[in-house]
Amino acid sequence: MQLSRKEILEKLQDIMISINDNDRERIEACTEQTRLVEDLGLTSVGMLYLVIVLEESFRIKFEDVGAATFSTVAKVIDYIEEKIK
Amino acid sequence: MKKRKNKKSYFFYDFVKITAAIPGLLWFRPKRIYASEAAKQRIRGGALLIANHSSNIDPIILMFGIYYRRHHFIATKELFDTRFKRFWFENFHCIEIDRENFGMGSFRSIIDMLKADKLISMFPEGHVTNNEEVQKFKSGMVLMAVSSGKPIVPVYIKVRKRFWQRQYVIIGEPINPTAMLQKMPTLSDMDRVAELLREKEKELKEIADSIGLKKRKKPIVKNDANKKSSIHKESQQDEIRDKTPV
Repeated sequence: MQLSRKEILEKLQDIMISINDNDRERIEACTEQTRLVEDLGLTSVGMLYLVIVLEESFRIKFEDVGAATFSTVAKVIDYIEEKIK
Repeated sequence: MKKRKNKKSYFFYDFVKITAAIPGLLWFRPKRIYASEAAKQRIRGGALLIANHSSNIDPIILMFGIYYRRHHFIATKELFDTRFKRFWFENFHCIEIDRENFGMGSFRSIIDMLKADKLISMFPEGHVTNNEEVQKFKSGMVLMAVSSGKPIVPVYIKVRKRFWQRQYVIIGEPINPTAMLQKMPTLSDMDRVAELLREKEKELKEIADSIGLKKRKKPIVKNDANKKSSIHKESQQDEIRDKTPV
Protein backbone atom coordinates (compact mmCIF):
# COMPACT_ATOMS: atom_id res chain seq x y z
CA MET A 1 0.00 0.00 0.00
CA GLN A 2 1.66 3.19 -1.17
CA LEU A 3 0.05 6.36 0.14
CA SER A 4 1.22 9.96 -0.07
CA ARG A 5 1.48 12.11 3.08
CA LYS A 6 -1.61 14.02 1.96
CA GLU A 7 -3.63 10.81 1.61
CA ILE A 8 -2.47 9.60 5.02
CA LEU A 9 -3.48 12.96 6.56
CA GLU A 10 -6.94 12.75 4.97
CA LYS A 11 -7.44 9.21 6.19
CA LEU A 12 -6.19 10.20 9.63
CA GLN A 13 -8.68 13.09 9.73
CA ASP A 14 -11.54 10.73 8.78
CA ILE A 15 -10.56 8.33 11.54
CA MET A 16 -10.23 11.10 14.13
CA ILE A 17 -13.69 12.44 13.18
CA SER A 18 -15.20 8.97 13.46
CA ILE A 19 -13.88 8.52 16.99
CA ASN A 20 -14.35 12.12 18.14
CA ASP A 21 -17.29 13.71 16.33
CA ASN A 22 -17.50 16.60 18.80
CA ASP A 23 -14.34 18.21 17.39
CA ARG A 24 -15.16 17.82 13.69
CA GLU A 25 -14.30 21.45 12.78
CA ARG A 26 -10.95 21.44 14.56
CA ILE A 27 -9.99 18.08 13.03
CA GLU A 28 -11.01 19.14 9.50
CA ALA A 29 -8.88 22.27 9.83
CA CYS A 30 -5.84 20.45 11.21
CA THR A 31 -2.49 20.42 9.43
CA GLU A 32 0.69 18.43 9.98
CA GLN A 33 1.82 20.99 12.56
CA THR A 34 -1.31 20.59 14.70
CA ARG A 35 -0.54 19.30 18.19
CA LEU A 36 -2.63 16.31 19.25
CA VAL A 37 -2.97 17.05 22.95
CA GLU A 38 -2.86 20.84 23.11
CA ASP A 39 -4.76 21.69 19.88
CA LEU A 40 -7.06 18.70 19.40
CA GLY A 41 -7.52 17.94 23.09
CA LEU A 42 -6.73 14.25 22.72
CA THR A 43 -6.55 12.43 26.07
CA SER A 44 -4.41 9.36 26.84
CA VAL A 45 -7.47 7.15 26.30
CA GLY A 46 -8.21 8.99 23.05
CA MET A 47 -4.66 8.37 21.88
CA LEU A 48 -4.89 4.64 22.64
CA TYR A 49 -8.19 4.41 20.81
CA LEU A 50 -6.74 6.28 17.85
CA VAL A 51 -3.81 3.83 17.71
CA ILE A 52 -6.21 0.82 17.84
CA VAL A 53 -8.29 2.20 14.95
CA LEU A 54 -5.18 3.18 12.95
CA GLU A 55 -3.82 -0.37 13.32
CA GLU A 56 -7.05 -1.76 11.85
CA SER A 57 -7.32 0.81 9.07
CA PHE A 58 -3.71 0.74 7.85
CA ARG A 59 -3.15 -2.93 8.80
CA ILE A 60 0.02 -2.10 10.70
CA LYS A 61 1.15 -2.77 14.25
CA PHE A 62 2.26 0.05 16.53
CA GLU A 63 5.02 -0.61 19.04
CA ASP A 64 4.69 0.44 22.71
CA VAL A 65 3.53 3.96 21.87
CA GLY A 66 1.73 6.21 24.33
CA ALA A 67 0.08 9.59 24.63
CA ALA A 68 3.45 11.34 24.75
CA THR A 69 4.96 9.54 21.76
CA PHE A 70 3.22 11.62 19.12
CA SER A 71 3.23 15.30 19.84
CA THR A 72 2.02 16.44 16.40
CA VAL A 73 0.01 15.05 13.47
CA ALA A 74 3.24 15.04 11.42
CA LYS A 75 4.80 12.52 13.81
CA VAL A 76 1.84 10.15 13.41
CA ILE A 77 2.11 10.44 9.61
CA ASP A 78 5.89 9.78 9.80
CA TYR A 79 5.26 6.65 11.85
CA ILE A 80 2.55 5.31 9.51
CA GLU A 81 4.68 6.14 6.45
CA GLU A 82 7.59 4.20 7.94
CA LYS A 83 5.39 1.20 8.74
CA ILE A 84 3.60 0.90 5.38
CA LYS A 85 6.80 1.18 3.32
CA MET B 1 14.12 -30.80 25.31
CA LYS B 2 11.02 -29.51 26.99
CA LYS B 3 10.52 -25.79 26.41
CA ARG B 4 10.25 -23.87 29.67
CA LYS B 5 7.16 -21.71 29.83
CA ASN B 6 7.73 -18.06 30.60
CA LYS B 7 4.76 -17.97 32.96
CA LYS B 8 4.93 -16.31 36.34
CA SER B 9 3.90 -18.49 39.23
CA TYR B 10 1.01 -17.70 41.56
CA PHE B 11 2.75 -19.45 44.49
CA PHE B 12 3.64 -16.24 46.39
CA TYR B 13 0.21 -14.76 45.72
CA ASP B 14 -1.62 -17.84 46.99
CA PHE B 15 0.74 -18.30 49.94
CA VAL B 16 0.21 -14.73 51.19
CA LYS B 17 -3.52 -14.94 50.51
CA ILE B 18 -3.91 -18.13 52.55
CA THR B 19 -1.69 -17.04 55.45
CA ALA B 20 -3.32 -13.61 55.67
CA ALA B 21 -6.86 -14.96 55.37
CA ILE B 22 -7.56 -15.68 59.06
CA PRO B 23 -6.08 -12.47 60.56
CA GLY B 24 -7.75 -10.50 57.74
CA LEU B 25 -11.14 -12.10 58.34
CA LEU B 26 -10.88 -11.42 62.08
CA TRP B 27 -9.81 -7.81 61.56
CA PHE B 28 -12.22 -6.79 58.79
CA ARG B 29 -15.07 -9.29 59.30
CA PRO B 30 -15.99 -8.70 55.65
CA LYS B 31 -19.64 -8.88 54.67
CA ARG B 32 -20.71 -9.13 51.04
CA ILE B 33 -23.98 -7.57 50.01
CA TYR B 34 -25.38 -8.07 46.53
CA ALA B 35 -27.27 -5.26 44.83
CA SER B 36 -29.66 -7.64 43.06
CA GLU B 37 -30.30 -11.28 42.27
CA ALA B 38 -28.29 -10.93 39.05
CA ALA B 39 -25.30 -9.68 41.07
CA LYS B 40 -25.30 -12.84 43.18
CA GLN B 41 -23.83 -14.99 40.42
CA ARG B 42 -20.11 -15.68 40.70
CA ILE B 43 -17.81 -13.79 38.37
CA ARG B 44 -16.53 -16.32 35.87
CA GLY B 45 -14.09 -15.79 33.03
CA GLY B 46 -12.46 -12.51 32.10
CA ALA B 47 -13.93 -9.42 33.74
CA LEU B 48 -13.01 -5.95 34.89
CA LEU B 49 -13.69 -5.24 38.53
CA ILE B 50 -14.05 -1.57 39.37
CA ALA B 51 -14.31 -0.01 42.82
CA ASN B 52 -14.15 3.30 44.66
CA HIS B 53 -10.73 4.12 46.08
CA SER B 54 -10.97 5.78 49.49
CA SER B 55 -7.98 4.16 51.18
CA ASN B 56 -4.76 2.27 50.51
CA ILE B 57 -6.19 -0.99 51.86
CA ASP B 58 -8.94 -1.14 49.22
CA PRO B 59 -7.13 -3.82 47.15
CA ILE B 60 -7.05 -6.10 50.24
CA ILE B 61 -10.76 -5.52 50.87
CA LEU B 62 -11.55 -6.27 47.22
CA MET B 63 -9.66 -9.54 47.59
CA PHE B 64 -11.89 -10.42 50.55
CA GLY B 65 -14.98 -9.31 48.61
CA ILE B 66 -14.29 -11.49 45.58
CA TYR B 67 -12.26 -14.12 47.44
CA TYR B 68 -12.70 -16.93 44.93
CA ARG B 69 -10.73 -15.25 42.13
CA ARG B 70 -7.13 -14.11 41.69
CA HIS B 71 -7.04 -10.36 41.22
CA HIS B 72 -4.68 -8.57 38.84
CA PHE B 73 -4.56 -4.96 39.95
CA ILE B 74 -3.69 -2.10 37.68
CA ALA B 75 -1.09 -0.02 39.54
CA THR B 76 0.75 3.16 38.63
CA LYS B 77 4.51 2.99 38.06
CA GLU B 78 5.12 5.18 41.15
CA LEU B 79 4.11 2.17 43.27
CA PHE B 80 7.00 0.17 41.84
CA ASP B 81 9.68 2.72 42.81
CA THR B 82 11.62 0.64 45.39
CA ARG B 83 12.93 -2.91 45.06
CA PHE B 84 10.79 -4.04 48.01
CA LYS B 85 7.59 -2.63 46.56
CA ARG B 86 8.42 -3.93 43.09
CA PHE B 87 8.91 -7.43 44.56
CA TRP B 88 5.48 -7.34 46.21
CA PHE B 89 3.56 -5.82 43.33
CA GLU B 90 5.18 -8.02 40.71
CA ASN B 91 4.55 -11.17 42.73
CA PHE B 92 0.97 -10.08 43.17
CA HIS B 93 0.69 -9.92 39.38
CA CYS B 94 -0.07 -6.19 39.34
CA ILE B 95 0.03 -4.51 35.96
CA GLU B 96 2.32 -1.48 35.90
CA ILE B 97 1.02 1.53 33.98
CA ASP B 98 2.27 5.04 33.42
CA ARG B 99 -0.58 7.40 34.20
CA GLU B 100 0.99 10.26 32.25
CA ASN B 101 1.84 8.18 29.21
CA PHE B 102 -0.40 5.12 29.14
CA GLY B 103 1.26 2.98 26.48
CA MET B 104 0.04 0.35 24.06
CA GLY B 105 2.30 -2.26 25.73
CA SER B 106 0.43 -2.08 29.05
CA PHE B 107 -2.90 -1.84 27.26
CA ARG B 108 -2.19 -4.94 25.17
CA SER B 109 -1.13 -6.95 28.22
CA ILE B 110 -4.41 -6.01 29.98
CA ILE B 111 -6.46 -7.05 26.92
CA ASP B 112 -4.51 -10.33 26.63
CA MET B 113 -5.15 -11.10 30.30
CA LEU B 114 -8.86 -10.34 29.96
CA LYS B 115 -9.06 -12.57 26.90
CA ALA B 116 -7.25 -15.29 28.88
CA ASP B 117 -10.18 -15.16 31.36
CA LYS B 118 -8.29 -13.33 34.11
CA LEU B 119 -9.86 -10.88 36.52
CA ILE B 120 -8.50 -7.33 36.24
CA SER B 121 -9.23 -5.09 39.22
CA MET B 122 -8.90 -1.35 39.04
CA PHE B 123 -9.91 1.94 40.61
CA PRO B 124 -11.26 4.17 37.83
CA GLU B 125 -11.13 7.32 39.98
CA GLY B 126 -7.39 7.14 39.34
CA HIS B 127 -6.17 7.97 42.84
CA VAL B 128 -6.98 7.57 46.54
CA THR B 129 -9.82 10.00 47.23
CA ASN B 130 -9.78 9.89 51.06
CA ASN B 131 -13.54 10.39 51.19
CA GLU B 132 -16.79 8.52 50.63
CA GLU B 133 -17.90 10.43 47.53
CA VAL B 134 -17.60 8.66 44.21
CA GLN B 135 -15.54 10.89 41.95
CA LYS B 136 -15.40 11.11 38.16
CA PHE B 137 -14.42 7.86 36.44
CA LYS B 138 -11.79 7.75 33.73
CA SER B 139 -13.02 6.12 30.52
CA GLY B 140 -9.99 3.82 30.05
CA MET B 141 -11.87 0.88 31.61
CA VAL B 142 -14.62 1.20 28.96
CA LEU B 143 -12.01 1.04 26.19
CA MET B 144 -10.54 -2.07 27.84
CA ALA B 145 -13.97 -3.71 28.11
CA VAL B 146 -14.89 -2.84 24.52
CA SER B 147 -11.54 -4.06 23.13
CA SER B 148 -11.77 -7.37 25.00
CA GLY B 149 -15.55 -7.84 24.89
CA LYS B 150 -15.60 -8.54 28.64
CA PRO B 151 -18.02 -7.20 31.28
CA ILE B 152 -17.39 -4.63 34.01
CA VAL B 153 -18.45 -5.45 37.58
CA PRO B 154 -18.96 -2.43 39.86
CA VAL B 155 -18.13 -2.87 43.54
CA TYR B 156 -18.50 -0.36 46.38
CA ILE B 157 -16.22 -0.53 49.41
CA LYS B 158 -17.94 1.04 52.41
CA VAL B 159 -15.67 3.34 54.36
CA ARG B 160 -15.19 2.10 57.94
CA LYS B 161 -15.58 4.99 60.36
CA ARG B 162 -14.09 3.00 63.23
CA PHE B 163 -11.66 0.12 63.05
CA TRP B 164 -13.91 -2.27 64.97
CA GLN B 165 -16.78 -1.89 62.49
CA ARG B 166 -17.50 -4.62 59.95
CA GLN B 167 -16.24 -4.12 56.44
CA TYR B 168 -19.09 -4.09 53.94
CA VAL B 169 -18.51 -4.74 50.25
CA ILE B 170 -21.46 -4.10 47.93
CA ILE B 171 -21.34 -6.04 44.67
CA GLY B 172 -23.30 -4.85 41.64
CA GLU B 173 -24.38 -6.78 38.59
CA PRO B 174 -22.03 -7.10 35.61
CA ILE B 175 -22.44 -4.53 32.85
CA ASN B 176 -21.36 -5.27 29.29
CA PRO B 177 -20.35 -2.06 27.46
CA THR B 178 -19.90 -3.97 24.18
CA ALA B 179 -23.64 -4.67 24.10
CA MET B 180 -24.42 -1.03 24.90
CA LEU B 181 -22.23 0.55 22.26
CA GLN B 182 -22.02 0.35 18.48
CA LYS B 183 -19.15 -1.42 16.75
CA MET B 184 -16.94 1.66 16.64
CA PRO B 185 -18.02 3.91 19.50
CA THR B 186 -16.90 7.52 19.80
CA LEU B 187 -14.93 8.84 22.76
CA SER B 188 -18.01 10.68 24.01
CA ASP B 189 -19.96 7.37 23.94
CA MET B 190 -17.27 5.86 26.16
CA ASP B 191 -17.45 8.86 28.51
CA ARG B 192 -21.22 8.32 28.74
CA VAL B 193 -20.72 4.66 29.72
CA ALA B 194 -18.10 5.72 32.30
CA GLU B 195 -20.66 8.16 33.74
CA LEU B 196 -23.32 5.44 33.79
CA LEU B 197 -20.95 3.19 35.72
CA ARG B 198 -20.35 6.01 38.18
CA GLU B 199 -24.12 6.28 38.66
CA LYS B 200 -24.24 2.53 39.33
CA GLU B 201 -21.45 2.97 41.87
CA LYS B 202 -23.47 5.72 43.56
CA GLU B 203 -26.45 3.36 43.76
CA LEU B 204 -24.22 0.81 45.50
CA LYS B 205 -23.09 3.56 47.88
CA GLU B 206 -26.74 4.27 48.74
CA ILE B 207 -27.20 0.60 49.59
CA ALA B 208 -24.07 0.76 51.77
CA ASP B 209 -25.31 3.90 53.53
CA SER B 210 -28.71 2.34 54.22
CA ILE B 211 -27.06 -0.57 56.10
CA GLY B 212 -25.70 1.77 58.73
CA LEU B 213 -28.97 3.66 59.04
CA LYS B 214 -31.06 0.56 59.67
CA LYS B 215 -28.76 -0.48 62.48
CA ARG B 216 -28.50 2.97 64.04
CA LYS B 217 -32.16 3.89 63.74
CA LYS B 218 -33.33 2.77 67.18
CA PRO B 219 -30.48 4.14 69.30
CA ILE B 220 -30.83 7.56 67.62
CA VAL B 221 -34.52 7.77 68.61
CA LYS B 222 -33.64 6.60 72.11
CA ASN B 223 -30.88 9.16 72.41
CA ASP B 224 -33.17 11.90 71.15
CA ALA B 225 -35.78 10.93 73.70
CA ASN B 226 -33.16 10.98 76.46
CA LYS B 227 -31.90 14.31 75.20
CA LYS B 228 -35.44 15.74 75.13
CA SER B 229 -36.22 14.47 78.62
CA SER B 230 -32.93 15.83 79.97
CA ILE B 231 -33.66 19.22 78.35
CA HIS B 232 -37.15 19.11 79.85
CA LYS B 233 -35.72 18.29 83.28
CA GLU B 234 -33.21 21.14 83.00
CA SER B 235 -35.92 23.64 82.05
CA GLN B 236 -38.07 22.41 84.97
CA GLN B 237 -35.15 22.87 87.35
CA ASP B 238 -34.59 26.37 85.94
CA GLU B 239 -38.26 27.21 86.53
CA ILE B 240 -38.05 25.96 90.13
CA ARG B 241 -34.81 27.93 90.62
CA ASP B 242 -36.50 31.11 89.28
CA LYS B 243 -39.51 30.67 91.52
CA THR B 244 -37.54 30.06 94.71
CA PRO B 245 -36.98 33.29 96.70
CA VAL B 246 -33.39 34.42 97.10
